[in-house]
Amino acid sequence: MATIIDKVTLEHVASLARLEITPEEEEPLLGDLERILGHVAQLSSVDTSAIVSKRPAMTELRPDDPREGLTREEGLGGAPAMRDGFVVVRNVMGGEDE
Amino acid sequence: MTTTIGLEIHVQLATRTKMFCGCSTAFEDEPNTHVCPVCLGLPGALPTLNAEAVRLATRIATALGCTVHEVSEFSRKNYFYPDLPKSYQITQFDRPIATGGSVPIVTERGTRSVRLTRAHIEEDAGKSMHAADITLGGETLVDFNRCGMPLIEIVTEPDMQSGDEAYEFLHNLRRLVRWLGVSSGDMEKGAMRCDVNVSVSPDPAKRGTKVEIKNLNSFRSVKRAIDYEEQRQAQCLADGTPVLTETRHFDEVQGTTTAMRSKEASNDYRYFPEPDLPLLQLDPTELESLRTHMPELPWEMQSRFERDLGLLPYDAALITEERSTAEFFQQTVALCDNPKKVASYMGTEVAKLLNERGKTLTETQLTPTTLAGLLTMVEHNAISNTASKDVLPLLMDTGTTPMEAVRSLGLEQVSDTSAIEGFAREVIAENATQVEQFRGGKEAVLGFLVGQLMKKSKCKANPKLTGEILRTLLKS
Amino acid sequence: MNSGLPRTLEQYRRAVRAHELSAEEYLDETRRLIERDEPQVRAFLHLRLDAAHSDAQAADPTSPLAGAPIAIKDNIMMAGERCTCGSRILEHYVAPYSATVVQSLLAAGAVVPGKTNCDEFAMGSSTENSAFFPTHNPADLIRVPGGSSGGSTAAVAAGFALGAIGSDTGGSVRQPAAFCGVVGFKPTYGRVSRYGLVAFGSSLDCIGPIARSVRDTAIMMNVMAVHDPKDATSVRRPHVDFEASLQPTLAGRRVGIIRELQGLDVQPEIAAAMEAACEAALKSGASLVDVSLPHILSALPAYYIIAPAECSANLGRFDGVRYGLHEGGRDMTETYSRTRNAGFGTEVKRRILIGAFVLSAGYYDAYYKKASSVRQLITDELDAALESADVLLTPTTPTTAFRIGAVTDPLEMYKADVFTIPANLAGVPAVSFPAGKDAAGLPIGLQLMGPRWSDAELLSSANVLFTALGGES
Repeated sequence: MATIIDKVTLEHVASLARLEITPEEEEPLLGDLERILGHVAQLSSVDTSAIVSKRPAMTELRPDDPREGLTREEGLGGAPAMRDGFVVVRNVMGGEDE
Repeated sequence: MTTTIGLEIHVQLATRTKMFCGCSTAFEDEPNTHVCPVCLGLPGALPTLNAEAVRLATRIATALGCTVHEVSEFSRKNYFYPDLPKSYQITQFDRPIATGGSVPIVTERGTRSVRLTRAHIEEDAGKSMHAADITLGGETLVDFNRCGMPLIEIVTEPDMQSGDEAYEFLHNLRRLVRWLGVSSGDMEKGAMRCDVNVSVSPDPAKRGTKVEIKNLNSFRSVKRAIDYEEQRQAQCLADGTPVLTETRHFDEVQGTTTAMRSKEASNDYRYFPEPDLPLLQLDPTELESLRTHMPELPWEMQSRFERDLGLLPYDAALITEERSTAEFFQQTVALCDNPKKVASYMGTEVAKLLNERGKTLTETQLTPTTLAGLLTMVEHNAISNTASKDVLPLLMDTGTTPMEAVRSLGLEQVSDTSAIEGFAREVIAENATQVEQFRGGKEAVLGFLVGQLMKKSKCKANPKLTGEILRTLLKS
Repeated sequence: MNSGLPRTLEQYRRAVRAHELSAEEYLDETRRLIERDEPQVRAFLHLRLDAAHSDAQAADPTSPLAGAPIAIKDNIMMAGERCTCGSRILEHYVAPYSATVVQSLLAAGAVVPGKTNCDEFAMGSSTENSAFFPTHNPADLIRVPGGSSGGSTAAVAAGFALGAIGSDTGGSVRQPAAFCGVVGFKPTYGRVSRYGLVAFGSSLDCIGPIARSVRDTAIMMNVMAVHDPKDATSVRRPHVDFEASLQPTLAGRRVGIIRELQGLDVQPEIAAAMEAACEAALKSGASLVDVSLPHILSALPAYYIIAPAECSANLGRFDGVRYGLHEGGRDMTETYSRTRNAGFGTEVKRRILIGAFVLSAGYYDAYYKKASSVRQLITDELDAALESADVLLTPTTPTTAFRIGAVTDPLEMYKADVFTIPANLAGVPAVSFPAGKDAAGLPIGLQLMGPRWSDAELLSSANVLFTALGGES
């Protein structure tokens, strides 16, 4: 049986999800994922050509009235680093999506 | 070389609260003060859609001639960035609120239509300030006040061919969003942002490599960046160096674009339908009513003014730049029925004073009634055109009526023939030489004599009457 | 437990209203029980017994819940209390706001003794995936209580609370209720607000009540079933009195048995309990109907695509920037992966990876999109079946509670959700009620599913079978 997920794909998916896979984790994880994905892949045999999605629609929207939010302390009191009211993080310039 | 340009414009919708929470959209200097569990992405918080944002989006899409879809869907766009609290942005992907539509632009190639691909609604991210912006030593400061601001993203087809055309498109779009009260359109405050796709090709039938440019903070930057990029790509083609598909950053100071560091992994946003928001369904009767109640659009009004009122293109464009100005103009014309005069006066004298005061028309005391009154007085020779320029500031700054202003300045024009005759006799008596010259056939001297009379009357004498009376007396 | 004390919320409320018992006295009894048994059961991640004592003193005896102790699963926000979701990444997180359902319960006079243990972010079927410790089944301490709401069901079974709330994404209220011998109800999707429930699979998650009788869950539903403008998936429904809707018989009701589930490997005592329940139904005036759901066995694979996909996005917010665990790195990419690696357990990581995979370019159509279509297909089939039957009867689980540490294969663990998952995919209400014990004396749970918005009628049917099979009315 062809593999569904190989090492390269796993590493790609892990980087998308910002998860690091240690070398020790890799083998057992690949095995588990392969079996789980193999199990769920059985859906390909279900004929869904006639299926129409019936997602419901929103019944009401929110009126445009300002509401009390959180203070900075309530909302961001647990942030690892703050300065002058800003949340401080490592420089992300250039390397990431925006 | 053929240049092809497409734009992606984010317009901030003028709502009181954010797209998915009740936090205020008011511009706030203090960072992280307009925040709540929803826009901070706290665990357990859920989005609720702002009805007004939908209404404004529908309004602008209808005005742009888009097909507004009765059913649209929100999706999650997944990526990690410190100013994106949920690590996904709620946007629309497969089923946007609107597709199609167009914006007319006047270009060197004539009036053209720039087609729109789609328009969709989404939330803004927070604001990051990088070390490049301020001295921070390798850190980024994040403010979430902007996070969750309601946006409509408008994507054009690659229908523009120069920086000037892109500038014209943006100008017209901005005029429209302000016209409809959909957005302030203020690019400096980030209420309108634009990314550009530019490709240059030696073969007009083929598209070149698409290069995306970001960090464009003004219409002028958009034009400069396109102009630069056009040259750069043409040079690459001439040199035989390949043009890369990439995202480039515009440097305001240098006026150049530089490649942004390419990402390790290619973008894979893993869009999927947002389970927290059921489908957005619009009422077809409301959509229809929106279409039928749509006000005349600025470019429609502009051509009508040129066509039906005979305004000069420059005046018509100026009058229809802002809806309040256009309304002021129309109300003034209704009162004094001289559209060309009103337009040219608004375009010169009024515009000059507004400029000096740094105000918009609605911020002054001038009203259509007082302006119409002033122009009627000029027309009926109650005051001179020159004198009107002294009256206008009073109308703007104090809100007084033209009559009172003219009286308080003592500028009533003298049209009383006997008074003018009195001045004329004095002028004839005092300027014997010039009188001789005129009688000897030198017509041009009349102007000098009129000037002398005006001086005596402190410019209040009706110039036309003055000329006639002087001529009659000189010939008698 | 002291036989003089009320066994159920309903008995408790009656005693308090008759001034035979005060909320404070009852809480003191509960406290004694917790102090004695909690070290063995370990149902709670955080206790707040002193605060609960003050709350009980202040409780209004005429309020709907009259100061009854109600435990809250630790993935539901209660302002000022820690909310860890059983995860290291939120180990020290204190909720700055309360979930809508918590507000409703408190306003109705609930007293909260503590926040209960659960599988990390509600991902699991045994509560062994809690980052802190496993909870033990009060019926047999070497066994799991089920999961993910195992702390809540164990607390109710052990007498630490008269009721509890849990969250049910694929069976996380019903399966542990079955394992612990209590009632667990998953309402119709949209009936109870999700605002303040830390999301796992947003299109599947439901908050539901756990109690010792079906009637008690109805009493709790009267408080919990409120339309919430803060949750766009919450639906405004006409007012229903769930308790007053409880009928004494099943006269005229059609109980459906799903043909495709008959061949499944189920523990013999559970199969016997099914037969007993069918007999009880017939005796109570119901008719039995055979229904077919041709694709019901595709529910499990569809679920294990959709739930991980949604969780992979929902758990993106735990990035160490604004709250929770933070492990610094050289740059943000490293900070993210270090934080998330240190903060998430193995099962959570596994599901995030599956989710990211099924949504990624090149796999989306074959996995996520396909699963969404299959979900619709199963929903259509369930809706159709629920036209020919008023309720569908199934076991809640294929087996009774297993031993702690006995199931290590994730796929085997997933397969235990086969009966509970269809209700989540279709958004229909489903309830698990105790139906006797197996040879080892372990509780057996049976499940009833009903049409969307038939929550009150469903509880009524469950109440008849529950009492007929020996439960407290």
